[in-house]
Parts: sequence; C-alpha cells; structure tokens
Amino acid sequence: MIWKIALRNIFKNARRSVTTALAIGIGGLAALLFGGFVTSIWYGVQTSMIQEQGNLQVYRNGYLEFGAANPDAYTIKDWDKVAALLAADPMLAENIAVITPRIDLAGVAGNAETGNSKTFIGTGIVPAEIDAMRGWDGWNIGQVAPVTGLAAGGQESVIVGLGMARLMGMCEALSVPNCQDAPVDASTLVVEEQDFTSLVGTEAGLADQGNGTEKPQLNVMAATSAGVPNIARVGIESAQAQAVRAIDNSFIMMHFEQARGLLYGDSQEATALMLQVADPAQVDAVKARVDAVMTEAGLDLSVYHFTEVDPTFDRIFGMFTFMFIVVSIVLSIVIVFTIVNTISMTIVERVKEIGTIRALGFRKGFVRALFLTESTMIGLIGALIALGSAILLSNVINAAGLQWTPPSNATPLTVQLMVLDNPTFAIGVVGTLVALSFLASVWPTFKAARLNIVESLQRA
Amino acid sequence: MNQAYNPQSFQYDIAQNPGARPARDVAVSFKGLSKTYKMDRVEVPALKGVSGSIAKAATTFITGPSGSGKSTLLNLLGLLDRPTDGEMEILGEDVTKLTDKQAADFRAQHIGFVFQSFNLIPVLSLRENVEFPLLNRKMSWASRKTRALEYLEAVGLGDFVDRRPGEISGGQRQRVAIARALVSEPTLLIADEPTANLDTKTSREIVALMDRIKVELNTSVVICTHDTDLITPGSAIINIVDGQTAGEY
Ligand SMILES: Nc1ncnc2c1ncn2[C@@H]1O[C@H](COP(=O)(O)OP(=O)(O)OP(=O)(O)O)[C@@H](O)[C@H]1O
Ligand SMILES: [Mg+2]
Repeated sequence: MIWKIALRNIFKNARRSVTTALAIGIGGLAALLFGGFVTSIWYGVQTSMIQEQGNLQVYRNGYLEFGAANPDAYTIKDWDKVAALLAADPMLAENIAVITPRIDLAGVAGNAETGNSKTFIGTGIVPAEIDAMRGWDGWNIGQVAPVTGLAAGGQESVIVGLGMARLMGMCEALSVPNCQDAPVDASTLVVEEQDFTSLVGTEAGLADQGNGTEKPQLNVMAATSAGVPNIARVGIESAQAQAVRAIDNSFIMMHFEQARGLLYGDSQEATALMLQVADPAQVDAVKARVDAVMTEAGLDLSVYHFTEVDPTFDRIFGMFTFMFIVVSIVLSIVIVFTIVNTISMTIVERVKEIGTIRALGFRKGFVRALFLTESTMIGLIGALIALGSAILLSNVINAAGLQWTPPSNATPLTVQLMVLDNPTFAIGVVGTLVALSFLASVWPTFKAARLNIVESLQRA
Repeated sequence: MNQAYNPQSFQYDIAQNPGARPARDVAVSFKGLSKTYKMDRVEVPALKGVSGSIAKAATTFITGPSGSGKSTLLNLLGLLDRPTDGEMEILGEDVTKLTDKQAADFRAQHIGFVFQSFNLIPVLSLRENVEFPLLNRKMSWASRKTRALEYLEAVGLGDFVDRRPGEISGGQRQRVAIARALVSEPTLLIADEPTANLDTKTSREIVALMDRIKVELNTSVVICTHDTDLITPGSAIINIVDGQTAGEY
C-alpha cells in the first residue's frame, strides 16, 4: 500500500516528479559518462604502458634509487640467464607472454653529414619482442599500438624523436612534416666536428663501414662501462613523435644488441627485463612468483609493477579521479537540493493527509516510510534515466570515434566511454543516486512525522 | 471486542428503535480535563476543567457555540492531543500518560475518526481507503480486501469500490470515511462536525448511519455538531460553553 501511495503520488505530480527525476538523471548521466571516460583511461593508458614496458620489470636492487647516477653499477648481469631462469618456471612460462631486455643509455649523437650534434637519451630494445608486446590487449579494449618499425631494418637502424630529427637537421632527409632544418651555425660546428672526427678515427674504419643504405646516418657516442667513449654509426629508419617534448628532442631507439655492444661489449648486461603478463588478472601472482624464483636463485634483483617504476599512470588516473570526485560532489549537492525541495513540497501539500494517517493510528515511522519510499522511487527512476541515457549517449560518442592523447602517449587513443565495462562503477552510481534520494529526504520526512496531529488536521 | 459481527446487518436494522438506550456502561470517563494552547506568549484556555463520561455502545452529541472547546475535547478523547491537566480513562485504562507510540497503537486498536472534510487519501480507491487502517493489523492481504469490501457495502457503496474519492459526492465520501473508521471495529468513533460540509438531507443520513451502528459494533459514537436538529432522540448530550460543561443529558 505504501508503494501504491508513493507511486500514485509520483504520477499525480507528474511534472514535478519528472523534473526531479531528470535532475537526478542528468546528474547521474554526467557522472556515468565522466566515470566511463575515467574507466577508459584506466584501461587505455595502462594498456598503452603495458604495450610499451610490460606489466612487470626486473631491475638490479638499488637501480631505481641510484641507477640514474651510475647506471653501469646497477645493470642486470647475465640477463639472458635470468630470462631463461624465469622462462623455465612452469607458472611463469604459462603466464608470461614476453620477456625482453632493455638498455637505457645516454650520450652524444652527431649528424654525419652536417656535423650537427647533441646529447641523446636512448633505449635499446629487441624490436620483434617490443612489436609483440605492442599487440597486447589483455583487457580486450581493441587498442593496439603500431609496431616499432625497427624489426625489418638491420642491427644498425634506429628511430629518433621528431624533435631529435629537427635538431639534427634531418627534416628533409626523413621527410618530417611541418619541419624545417635548423640553420647551421658554422662556428659551433667546427669544434664538434673535430671532436667526432678524432673519435671516429680511433674506431678503425667505422666511418667508412657505413651500413650500405641511403638512410640518414648518425654517429652515436656513449661511454662504455669501463668509462671509455665508444661510438657507432647508425642509420635512421624513421622519426617518430614521443610523448614528452624533452624526450622527443633527444630520443633514439636502437636495437638491443647495438646498445649492448656500445656499452658493454661482449658482456650480457641489460638495464631491465620487461615482462608482459598475458592476463592482467594474474599480474600480482606472477610478480610474487618472479620474486620467489629470483630470491631462491640468490639474485640481487627485484621485480616491480610498471606503475612503481613510472608514476605516469597513477598520476593521470589520480588526476581524473580527483576531477571525478569534485564533479560528483557538485552534482550530489545539486541533486540533494532538488530532492529536498521536491519532497518538502510534497509534504507541505499533504500535511492534512499526514495528520489523518497519524490519527488513524499509524506511528511516525509509517509517515517517514511513506515519504522516503516516494523519494527513493523518484531517485530510482532518475537513476534508470541516467543509466539508460548514459548507455545510449556513450554508444553515440564511441561511434563518433573522437580521439584524445593522454599525457603518457605520443599517439592519440580513441575515446571509448566505458559505462557498462565497469559494472561495479555503474551499479555504484545507480546505488549512490538512490541512496542520495533516500538520505536527502530523511530530514524532511522526520519533520513531517513530527508534525502536530491536531494542527495538521486543521489545515485546509 | 466485537466478535462475530456481520457488518451487513446494520443496513437493515435502521427501522429498529434508535432511541433504545442500553445500560449506561461507561466507555470513557474524564475528570477536570483542561487544555491551554500557547500561542507565542499568549495562553488560550480552550478547556477549563471538563468532566463527564461517554456511554458504551451509545451516541453522545457534543454541542456548544463556536470556539467553546468542542473540537479540543474531541481531540483529547481521540488521543490526538494531550490535556494540560485532568484525568481520562478509556475502557478503564488511564490514557493520559501514554507515550506517543502507545497513543498511536491505542488509536489504531480502539478509536475511529470521521472528519469534517472527509480526509480520504485521494490517490487510493474507495476500497483501498477503507482497507488502509487495516495495515496496522496482522491480517492477510485477502482478508483485508474482503473486510474493506464488506464495510463499503455496509455503507451502501459496494458499486463504487474502484472509484477514487474525487469521483464521488461529498455524502458518499463521508460514507467511505465512516466505513474506514469502522473497518477496524473501534470502541470509540469520534466525529468532529461530520456533516458541516454536507446538505441537510445528506447530513441526516450520515448521522443516522453512525447512530445505528453503535449497537452492532458495540461502539461508542461521539459526534460534535452545532446543528441541534441532527441530534437523535434519546442520545446523550454534552453541552460545552466557554471551555466548561454547561450541561450533560
Ligand atoms: N491549535 C490551536 N492553537 C491555539 N488556539 C487554539 C487551537 N485550536 C483551538 N484553539 C482555540 O481554542 C478555543 C477552542 O477551540 P475549539 O476548536 O475547540 O472550538 P470549537 O468548539 O470546536 O469551535 P467550532 O465550533 O468553531 O469548531 C478557541 O478559542 C480556539 O481559538
Ligand atoms: Mg470545532
């Protein structure tokens, strides 16, 4: 009967009910769409990063703290044996899709043609394995990164950042769009050219070896682990934009073997091992297992989740979560005021009915239940409007194929508002709307139940 | 209470002598009842020590000029309000010290109300309105429904059970209100100006309807009115003037 009375009063005051439910619905719609966007960031940005770095990374103990100052002291020695050790574990073999080494290096790069030179930050990777990692789509969100483009080229091919190409005066040679080669300043070049010439000279015949292609050539110089400068001539496969400008200006991606030869000669050293776990749900278990295997083998290595190594994801996600919270609070306040207003109006109109109900022997709780049911039902209707319209609108937006570039990416991701992909969230929003409707009317309904019976009955 | 009562029957005994007064068993007795309303800083003494009693299974009319305190007395008798002072017993139970919840439960068990402006719940059908007080009882859904229908038929509205209050006349609404007041088979039926919104002919029918149920339901009917023409011969009368009993017959 309470339900009947509540529902019929909702229909009786159709316009007011619809207005209130719409306010709740639009607030909920905004929360669901924004939440759907945050969810897509959660999946999309993590997928991007996992495609690039793997879910887990193994480093020498202390590397994350001190390695930057002295990378050579914190390399993984015999990385190939470590990789083999991990691959030999049945549990890991089953769950890890890719194990691949990486070398981080820095040095000076020079344009063999013009003599332009500048510092670079480089990474040495196994292109085929990185390409395999870039195909990872563990959450089935249909997001695949383009391949490196290095796998086909020879050992000596590299990829540089767009900014790097520009600064090295290779715009034209690499047909970089919207790029003009920097004007050459002869006075500074002379010195560096001399530097390089002398160095190249020490490496017997390196400059003449070339690499047999017409690719623009680059001389890269880095210090070996022994502290001796070493140099290699590489050919630029292509220039690719990097996410961060400072890195884009100095980025070189090269073959792992190239980097290893440059820094460590014959020694099997690497900065890190990147592990890609096929099923993201297994990451924690795999991490624990990797840790156990390495500890058992007495290795001075640690395994980290990629977010521990690179805070980018946590920051992006944290920022959007914070924005979501602020927006939700504002929406909640609006919704609460709307509900308080509506239910108070309903109560004022029905004071006499309240007096009658109390006179008939119903306790205060019944009066409260009556109006709480009504507001909760309005809330439920609003929540269903929110959910329905969010599903509808998110499909429209997703179909539109809008793109955005998260701070972590060089290439844009397609906006996919994931409203239903995170059921806990969707149910949470619906539940919150209903709960808000209930809670917002607690105070008005308590006041209604406390009305003096005689005075209520005297109302016209 | 009222065992084995068939509500259908009171339709047919209207011809019986309504003036037959049963032995004066007392349903309600009150002594020195007073009520003072406080409005801001002004105190309005609405009742100034009223004493009297309401007979069981009889009709008592409360009369008096406007503003004399009739409604105030009825509100006290119906446990809708608390006296400022005085004693009151209903069915031998001291009801002046009941808590709010106890008073509500007591009303649900023992007291029925008929209001001047009917006070039906507009969104409920006639049947649902009559059924409504039974939500306070532990009854099955089906027996609630059946009982509500019986009482609607008893007040002659068996053909309108699915209508809403807005779709019937004032007199019919008051009949529904009477059915609603009686459906829980109360000891005490309190009606404050139940006919003030009705024409003379309908008023008489309504009073007659309430008057004739008292025996079958063993209900004490208390009707407040200033239309003395409505008073059924043989009924008890409490006349209130200026917050005091001016006569009891
Ligand atoms: N809620 C209230 N607050 C303050 N004073 C009140 C209140 N209700 C009634 N009174 C006052 O108490 C006195 C008695 O009022 P009451 O309603 O009992 O009179 P009544 O006999 O029922 O009058 P009527 O025949 O007009 O209905 C009046 O002076 C009235 O103004
Ligand atoms: Mg009155």
